[in-house]
Formats: sequence, C-alpha cells, structure tokens
Amino acid sequence: MDIRLTSAILLGKITSLILKLSGSGATAAPGLFALKIDPNLIKKLSRKIKGGSVIISGTNGKTTTARLTFDILSSKYKIIHNRQGSNLLRGIASTLIQKAPVFGKIDFDLGLWEVDEATLSAAIENLSPKKIVLLNLFRDQLDRYGEVDTVRRNWQKSLSKLPKDTGLVLNTDDPGISFLAKSCKAKTIYFGVNDAQTNLPAIDHVADIKYCLNCNSKLIYKSLFSAHLGHYKCPNCGLGRPTPVIFAKNLNFKTNLTSSALLSIDHKVLTINYSLPGLYNVYNILAASAVSSNFDISPQIIKEKINGFSTAFGRFQKTEIDRKQIITMLIKNPAGANEVIRTLAQKDNLNLLIILNDNIADGRDVSWIWDTQWEVLKDKVKNITVAGIRSWDMATRLKYAKFKLSKNDIYKEISYSIADSIDKLNKNDTLIILPTYTALLEVQKSLSRLGGGKKWHEN
Amino acid sequence: MKYRLNICHLYPDLMDTYGDKGNIITIRQRCAWRNIDTTLTKISVGDKLKTDEFDIFFFGGGQDKAQEIVGKDLKSKKSTLTGSIENGAVLLSICGGYQLLQKYFKTIDGTVIDGIGLFDAYTVGSNTRMIQNLLIEINPDLQKEIDKAYQNTKYKIQNTNLVGFENHSGKTYLGKNLKPLGKVIKGSGNNGEDKTEGAIFKNAFGCYLHGSLLPKNPHFADYLITKALERRFGKISKAFLRIKLKPLDDSIEWQAHQSAIKKML
Repeated sequence: MDIRLTSAILLGKITSLILKLSGSGATAAPGLFALKIDPNLIKKLSRKIKGGSVIISGTNGKTTTARLTFDILSSKYKIIHNRQGSNLLRGIASTLIQKAPVFGKIDFDLGLWEVDEATLSAAIENLSPKKIVLLNLFRDQLDRYGEVDTVRRNWQKSLSKLPKDTGLVLNTDDPGISFLAKSCKAKTIYFGVNDAQTNLPAIDHVADIKYCLNCNSKLIYKSLFSAHLGHYKCPNCGLGRPTPVIFAKNLNFKTNLTSSALLSIDHKVLTINYSLPGLYNVYNILAASAVSSNFDISPQIIKEKINGFSTAFGRFQKTEIDRKQIITMLIKNPAGANEVIRTLAQKDNLNLLIILNDNIADGRDVSWIWDTQWEVLKDKVKNITVAGIRSWDMATRLKYAKFKLSKNDIYKEISYSIADSIDKLNKNDTLIILPTYTALLEVQKSLSRLGGGKKWHEN
Repeated sequence: MKYRLNICHLYPDLMDTYGDKGNIITIRQRCAWRNIDTTLTKISVGDKLKTDEFDIFFFGGGQDKAQEIVGKDLKSKKSTLTGSIENGAVLLSICGGYQLLQKYFKTIDGTVIDGIGLFDAYTVGSNTRMIQNLLIEINPDLQKEIDKAYQNTKYKIQNTNLVGFENHSGKTYLGKNLKPLGKVIKGSGNNGEDKTEGAIFKNAFGCYLHGSLLPKNPHFADYLITKALERRFGKISKAFLRIKLKPLDDSIEWQAHQSAIKKML
C-alpha cells in the first residue's frame, strides 16, 4: 500500500466532505491539499485509467468542447472528467480523489481533462495523455499568462517531448496551432472550416498572428473567419494550412441563434442542426467530433449528440424568470467577445447587460475592452446597462462607441443590475447578460435567487 | 474654418497587443465632438513615411517577436519621424513603442536591439515582470501646460495624475536631460527603482500606461489634441480654446479614472 497516496486521498475526501456540508462550491481545495501530501497523486491515479487520458486545451472553447466530447464518448465509455472542477492540476486531482476509493482503485475507461493553457505542460507530464486537443491561442489575461508567443513556446517545448504514439488533434485554421505539429513526433489530425466565408455580420478582427511563425513574412489569407483563424499561406516559405480530415462546410447561422452545417468525418458527410450560435461553436463541435471518431464512435451517434447538446455553464446558458428569457454568455478576451458580439449583431432590439470585473480570474487589466468592437452593436440595442467593479471603464468604452448611456444605466452592484434589468423587460422579452468570469459566478447566484435554475456547481 | 488633424498609427498590425487602439478612438472621438475632422493612416513594415504629413503619431505595444520585426523597419523611418518631432508633431508611444524610440534595448540574454534614439534613454530586460495598475503624478512643468488646455474643474477630482495598467519586464533608464512624464505614486513605472515613469521630448511622450490610457485620462487627451492643433494652425488663444476646444462632459471618464485608482489604494 502507498501510504502517502492513501493519506493524500483521505485528506482530499475529508476536505471535500467538509466543503459539501458547508454548502460551498469550491472544487479545487481537496486537490490542492492532497497534492501537498503527495505531489505524484495525479500520476499514480491517472495511470490506472484503462484507456488513458485525453487533454483539451486552448484559449476559447475548452469547457464547451470538453462537455460535448463527454456527451459523445459516454455513449460507449465510462469517463472521468473534471466537469465541475477547475482546469488547473488541483482541479484534476480533486476529480480523481472524488472518484477514487481510499485505496486508489480507478474504474474508468477514459479520462477527459479540460486544461488551462498555462497548465498544459504540467498536465502532459502528469497525465501522459493518449490524445491532446488544441483549439486555438488568442491574447487572454496578459497580466497572468504573459505574451501569446510565450505560451506557444512553452507548448512547443512540451509537445516536442511526446512519444510518437500520442495523438494530436489540431485546429488547422489557427496558424499558431497547426504550426505546433512541425516540432513533434506525435500523429496529428486536423480539423477546420472549409467554407470561403460565413454569413455572420462583419467585424474588424484582432489578430495575434499576422506574420509567418516560421520565417516572419506577412501571411496571405484567402479567407479570414475570426481573429487570425482562416485559410492562410506564407508567400515566402510556403507554410500553409494542412488539409483537415474533419471539416465543416455550408455553415448557416440563424437569427434565432441556432445553426446548421455539413460535417464531414472521415469522408462521411452529415447534416447537423444544433442549438448553439456562432462560429466559435463550430470549432468546438469539430474538435469534439475529431476526438470521438478517433475512439471509434460512429458518425451517426456523433450527429445525434451534437443535435441534442445544450450548453455548458455560462456559455449561452438559458434561464427563464417570470416568463422572461435570460441568456448568459461569458466574455473574457477580445477574440471570444468579438465573436459573441458578431453573433448578437444578427438580432435587433437587444436588451444587454455587460458586467466587467477585474479580479485575478478575470484579468486585472481591462484594456481588452478596447480591442473588442462594441461599435457593431450600437444600432442593435434597445436597452443597455453596465455593472461590475470596472463598470465605469465599460461605460467609457460604450460612450466612445457612441452608445447612449445615462448614469442610471451604470451599476456597481451586480445583483441590483440584474434585478433592475429583468424588471425593465416586457413579458416574453430576452435579456442578454455578458459577464466576465468572476462576474458570471455572481450572475448565477443572483439568477438562482430570483428563481432561475440551479446553483452553478450542481450543474 | 474647418479644422483637420492627420493621425498616423505606427505598425498597428504588429504593435497592438494591449488594447492601445482605445487611445486613437479617444482622440478621434473627442475631436469629432468638437467638429474637428481627423484622418487615420496606418503605416507598417515597408510603407513610406512622408515628412510633415502627420500631426499626431501613435505607437503601441507588441510582443517581443513583433518588436524585432518592427525594430528593423523603423530604421528606414528614423529621419522622417525624428524630423517630424523636431517640428513639433505630437507622438504618444506606449510600452514596446516607447522602447523602440529609445537608444537601445538590451534583452535578458545580452542581445542589443537598436532603437532610433528619439528619447535619450535605454531599456534593459529583467527577470521580473512588472504587472499592475500604475498611478503617476504628472511632471509639474507639463501639468501647467495641461491646466491651460483642460480647464474643466467641475468634477472635483484631482486632475494632476495619470492612471493605467503596466505590463513589462524591460527596465527603462532616462538620460540626464530627459524629463520623465511623471513620478510614480503606485506601481513600478520606468524601472521600479527611481520612481520615474515615462519620458517627454518636445511633444513626444513615452510611457508604460495601458488601459487604454487616454479614455480615462481626458485631460491628457485634450492636451495632445491642443498641441497638435497648435502645430498645424499656429499659437492657440484662450478664446479659441473656449470656443473650439469647448469642455466636454467627462463625468463618466473621471469616474473610470477614480475607480482604477480606488482599486490600487
């Protein structure tokens, strides 16, 4: 018996029990404490997962992709997944502890782990994954992660050490992601969008890559979908977009915020009709389909699960209070927020509540709201309200985008802003709340107090 | 008479990492509210920069790799750019842009990247990243000038500070005769050692203040606009300021300024 491991698991379980009894939603603490006792806990426990582990990482879309992948893979396998947990090592440890008996037997077919960008290297080392899915890399919380290039260099370093039987699943439309295959031995498959354009409203893109990562020449884009995602080629060294085996085409984004597309998986073409908006969700669907088909799930099952999928916590989450609809869409960086804005610009007469916090998990630097093109929504809004710790910065941003905003529309207290915004709605109207990460937690609390839905950690 | 200012955004495709385009949005909008036209020209790698075409230059921050590409190209624009500044053009540079306008940048592994030496200053890479809200007290000489350009005192908020967010690992040291933009009240500033932040050379300014800087520091925004108008249309009278650069309602901006400070103290 491994005494160190057993006592770590025991401590983790006790912590978890205490937290549960006190009604707290903290999911990282048990893992954090247990890792202090046995730093190799993740290595030891994850080794016992029969089919090994899958890691999903990237700036945007991790949570949605992981949840959809979980839904699809669960049709055939018993999966352990950090669904409620944080996506740092401590969250992975918490999940393992929660699912392991004290003596550390793990009875699962596959581990599915959403991993924070800055934790990827450590997660790879601890989990020795069978597959790694990399969605995209955008500027995000530069105060915490540093430069995008730095994150990518760290990834490159740890991917170059992977054994050649590891599978890499990469977004071919992100030149900063497809580039990663160059420096590693792992087997790579690509997913991407094969249309030449999308039917979403236009937006000025904020690209983190404009010059070839190989030779510093300016990249040429035949199609540019979002930020620096598209069909690119370097005119100098020839580095281009690898052909995807999993791809989507005929994307159709509808004004009721549902979508349809043709999805091609290993030469089989399926029509999907699903209830998620926006281009970013197409990439999430492609990534989930790519992993799932690699674990021998049939295209038919994949299609069914996509069509039946309803979203992850705070990412296009729908609630109803007093016959009024509330939709919550997390915003946290320019690439993601711009796509949300574009998606919303398909509609008119929007009732919007934007909540800007600057806690550590939000990014303490609020500069990013100036990289986000709120101007696109100016003529699409009926009511607009702002709230949060940095509500005045958000109000200033909107003022310079020429929105009409009075001081009465600016709240510090999130709970008041929500109650008042719902109050102002007509019956059958929809309120769209765009919170940053820590604001989202408060939004969930407020909504459940007002009678809309479960507590977030029970989701 | 219709007034117009020509704005140049230097390397917007490479040096635009930290939301600094808010500074340009602010200058243009504050001009538009006063019926002053603006044009915006983007100048990047390989583009020609003509003498005296622009009244205001903006040069933002970028990633290290982008900074390398820009550093090489900037050499070809050195004489035009320094000539414009000698002739009174306004320039605001932030972080990476500020560093490239100095004499040189010595990276942590000892490589020296040449700058164009507009500012008599140099930067040395360090292992600590200075990442936090940054509050400075404006250089008193500059403050006197700002008070002339921005006369609105109805907000009862002290307008002698600038507030923003810094994120840099380079430590900047100013030459003996180069004036700093201000004195650090909270944060690191140029180097975290001598309490200076930024630099002033004629109407060219360098600093580490992201945020974006100008939206929530409207007094500095209006000062830059005034200087640019002065250069293009001659010495500006008090009457002109009162009529043409009429005070705007900046209460939201000053609240944003205050809430950023509150977060620090």
